[in-house]
Amino acid sequence: MTDAAAGRPDLPQSIAHHPVRDVVTGPVGSIGITLIVVVAAGLLLIGPRFLSASNITIAGQFVAIPMLIGAFASFALLAGVVDLSIGSMAGVGAAIFGALVLSGWGLAPAIALTLGICLVFGAINALAVVGFHADPIAATLGMLTGLRGATYVIVEAYGQSGSLFAFHEGLFAFTNMLVWSLPLIFLIALAVTALAAIVVGKTRLGRHVRAVGGDPLAAARAGISVPRVRTGALLLSAFGAGLGGILFVGQLGAVSRLLGFGLEFQVYAALMIGGYSILRGGVGSPVGGALGFLAIAGAANILDLSGISPYYVNIIVGGLLLAAVLLDRIRGGDAYE
Amino acid sequence: MKGKSSSPLHALAVVAAATTVLGVGSVTGAGAQDKFKLGMAVGGNPCCEWMKAQGDVARALAEQRGWDYMELSNNDDAATALKNAGIFIQEGVDAVIQFNGQPSANPALAQRFASANIPVVTYDIAQPGFYFVGIDNLAAGLAGGEALGNIIKEKWNCEPDLVISAEGASAGIVNEWRTGGMRDGLKKVCPDIPAEKWVSFESQGQATVGLPAARDLLAAHPDAKRMAVVGLNDGGVLAAINAAEQLGRADEIIGWGQDGAFITGDNVNPHLAGSVFYFLEGYAVYALRDVIDPIAAGNPPPLKDTAGDPASRVQPCPVSAEEAAKVPDMPERVKMLLEAPPGTTEYELFCPSA
Amino acid sequence: MADHAIGHSVPEARPGMRFRLEGLGTAAVVALAWMALIAISAIHRPDFLSHQTILAIAFTMSIVGVLAVGQALVGISGGFLDLSQPTSLILTALAASRLLAAGLDPAFVIVLTLAIGALWGFANALIIVHGKLNPVIVTLATNFIGLAALFLVFQIAEAPIDSGFRAFGRGSFLGLPNIWWPMIALVLVVGFFLPRTRYGRRAIAVGGNRFAAQARGISLRKTRFAIFTASGVCAGIAGLLFAASSGPFTPASGTVYLLPVIAASILAGVSLAGGRGNIWLILLSVGFLSTVPTSLVFFGLSSDWQAIFQGAILIVAVSIDGYREKWVAR
Repeated sequence: MTDAAAGRPDLPQSIAHHPVRDVVTGPVGSIGITLIVVVAAGLLLIGPRFLSASNITIAGQFVAIPMLIGAFASFALLAGVVDLSIGSMAGVGAAIFGALVLSGWGLAPAIALTLGICLVFGAINALAVVGFHADPIAATLGMLTGLRGATYVIVEAYGQSGSLFAFHEGLFAFTNMLVWSLPLIFLIALAVTALAAIVVGKTRLGRHVRAVGGDPLAAARAGISVPRVRTGALLLSAFGAGLGGILFVGQLGAVSRLLGFGLEFQVYAALMIGGYSILRGGVGSPVGGALGFLAIAGAANILDLSGISPYYVNIIVGGLLLAAVLLDRIRGGDAYE
Repeated sequence: MKGKSSSPLHALAVVAAATTVLGVGSVTGAGAQDKFKLGMAVGGNPCCEWMKAQGDVARALAEQRGWDYMELSNNDDAATALKNAGIFIQEGVDAVIQFNGQPSANPALAQRFASANIPVVTYDIAQPGFYFVGIDNLAAGLAGGEALGNIIKEKWNCEPDLVISAEGASAGIVNEWRTGGMRDGLKKVCPDIPAEKWVSFESQGQATVGLPAARDLLAAHPDAKRMAVVGLNDGGVLAAINAAEQLGRADEIIGWGQDGAFITGDNVNPHLAGSVFYFLEGYAVYALRDVIDPIAAGNPPPLKDTAGDPASRVQPCPVSAEEAAKVPDMPERVKMLLEAPPGTTEYELFCPSA
Repeated sequence: MADHAIGHSVPEARPGMRFRLEGLGTAAVVALAWMALIAISAIHRPDFLSHQTILAIAFTMSIVGVLAVGQALVGISGGFLDLSQPTSLILTALAASRLLAAGLDPAFVIVLTLAIGALWGFANALIIVHGKLNPVIVTLATNFIGLAALFLVFQIAEAPIDSGFRAFGRGSFLGLPNIWWPMIALVLVVGFFLPRTRYGRRAIAVGGNRFAAQARGISLRKTRFAIFTASGVCAGIAGLLFAASSGPFTPASGTVYLLPVIAASILAGVSLAGGRGNIWLILLSVGFLSTVPTSLVFFGLSSDWQAIFQGAILIVAVSIDGYREKWVAR
């Protein structure tokens, strides 16, 4: 479906800009500015403790796993397919992992099996979207619904009263570990983002993914296997979601029926602030996505600490979303028209 | 493309510089406390009016006492509840009240608060280590079920065509207590209803969300006429009643709810025969009176963390629709509660049988 | 789907004709799937084919169908997605309930409610057009903001219990729910006029290739405003039907409709890239998607398992449709 958009003659993307610099700098610069504004607002309204290790830890621990899932899912966006099932995939991954841990499985085999099963679900997504040319939104929406049901079933079967308590000593310690006074998982999420940025920006694989998303016809003519790239992207997305689910079990020590419910909205809102599009491939940068997560987390943290009624949080986050994309537009980013 | 072009490195460098210039501090808590600081984590589930009101009442009572008050929303999400715990600890609150609709996170929360030495009051869903303030949901369920049982005994000689349970699986143990309790209470009065007449649907505790599922259930039992409805709450029960109205089968449907959300005011559905008031919005009175006030006075009460032996017990108030007609709407109740003498509970103010 | 790019690069003299004939393949797939589902369910339990079942399914179809018309209009005209429907549905339903409770004449209530829906759509369009922003982001953000704002205004609302409006919402006409008829009227009328009026064809042209449309003198701004306002009016209609037929609702009560509506729109052949889609097919896709949960109940599945099968059926359905589109000549 994104091919139709790619066929349009004069999208700014396909006019002769330097693709790397433009894709990477426009939205990232904008979201960088937005983040600076958020940080400044935080320091002004809250004070120096806004940037204290303790506060960054709180926000970092909350945003780390969604950011990690987003880094993996961003490849699919880049390749021109959107995977809406990542929230439920994280949920079912958490449920499977939790059930395995409860049943006495060791850590490594449980992780391996969980990720393997999530890859199978990702393969089903790929079969539908790439093999059968199903609409990605509709197909992954179906997977979202189906996996949510699977999460319900597993939690019912292995848990009590809607909660599956699966506390793993080692994993709990790992997900709560601090390094240089900051959460380890937060640093890992940042590292994964950096790695993704290098792959996207500097490797041939990254160029191929962007080409497939930006102009699949041209990519195919250039010898890039569009189906293979898209399949890989969907598998990667499923892998990331499964990994996120496992980390959730570590962090929370339990799985609820609703784990991951609505996560895809959180992730894609942040990625879109960072320059990705869920309907068009080839645009967006992992760094921009991460900055999007940080900007939202920062804004939410300001609201939490400043005693504003929690019911205003979403209004401000929504406004931030609009302001961030508007800023990007003003700075010369992609116009809708 | 107009405007300055900046590389991502440039942007990040600016952020780093800005933070250095503006000062990266070390951990500074909220400083020495003159005033007692109360933190409240509201449930954040948009399903129910009382969730927001719980925070409003706590805030008002804290202000009456001249305390500092900090409110966060758990957003009906376990990870958010964990984050909120971190914030409360960082901000140096002296005590926390929470409604946690996702109790899977409770053990992790308990651990965090315990290491920070912050006492916690939790509403309705028990957690070892947290003061329990709330209702005995199972007793409330039984009371409601018995009341409905008495009605159908009188009207239908204990021979309904269906007994419908409006479940709300996401409420976990509370669903089992309330909905299961109502079934058990009904069975006490009418023990001989055959097993195949007991059917369930997933209402998610809301009248509109559960409506399609209720319709489908009724369609799958097209010949049932006399239907009794129990459920997690008034909303769930109303889903079944509204479905029956839509399918033209509401002549002989009778429901009894829980939580009293839709049994007051002018818009009461005639098929809702009664409910059980918890007066959830007024829980703070109990929490403050029996747990937080003593803590603020330097005299923490013994830790009672089970529903059977609670730190403060909230009385359920079963009412029929006629009795409930005298009870004001929730916003009105909150107003009157805050004007009443301190320590007065809504049960004392409003329960017709108190 | 690459052939669309090629197919639409040449502006057509009469895009309406081809537009009208499109989608017959999709119609066949969805109709067959629907028939198969009904047949399997009826074989399993003959009392599936009862009037009660028809009523249950038709009620579900009504609100989803009206919202799907709005969503389809947005998609066909190149506006991608309107993610703010959960807010506009509840906003208009709230308005209707409050106005009725205030004693206003039902005719006024209807007009005012539709106006509020139109206003919401217009506001979205303002941000989209003047900010030149992607409608997906804009409607996502306005939905966030709108829901939070609604939650500050009310937590529970309902149409007055003894109003004729509410009785209308629960009654039936010729064996089908009262609220079903406005839905089918909307689908038939919009579906008829979209490819046959100047304004409709402009919307399709903009969706298919906005640069060619602009070259032909079509105002993109006016089209955007018209389409999003129309989507808002659809939400207003849905809000009226919702308030009339449902019990007490909360600000978040509309969220549950978003994904089924998008699924119905896509399954009706609406291409989110724009320029393609047959409104009449919404009847088939919404009908099929509304029948799935009901038949799963007849199969005795628990609600947890229902979600699994619903998801699987959707994946299979769009896979078959995608395959047919790609490999079978239209």
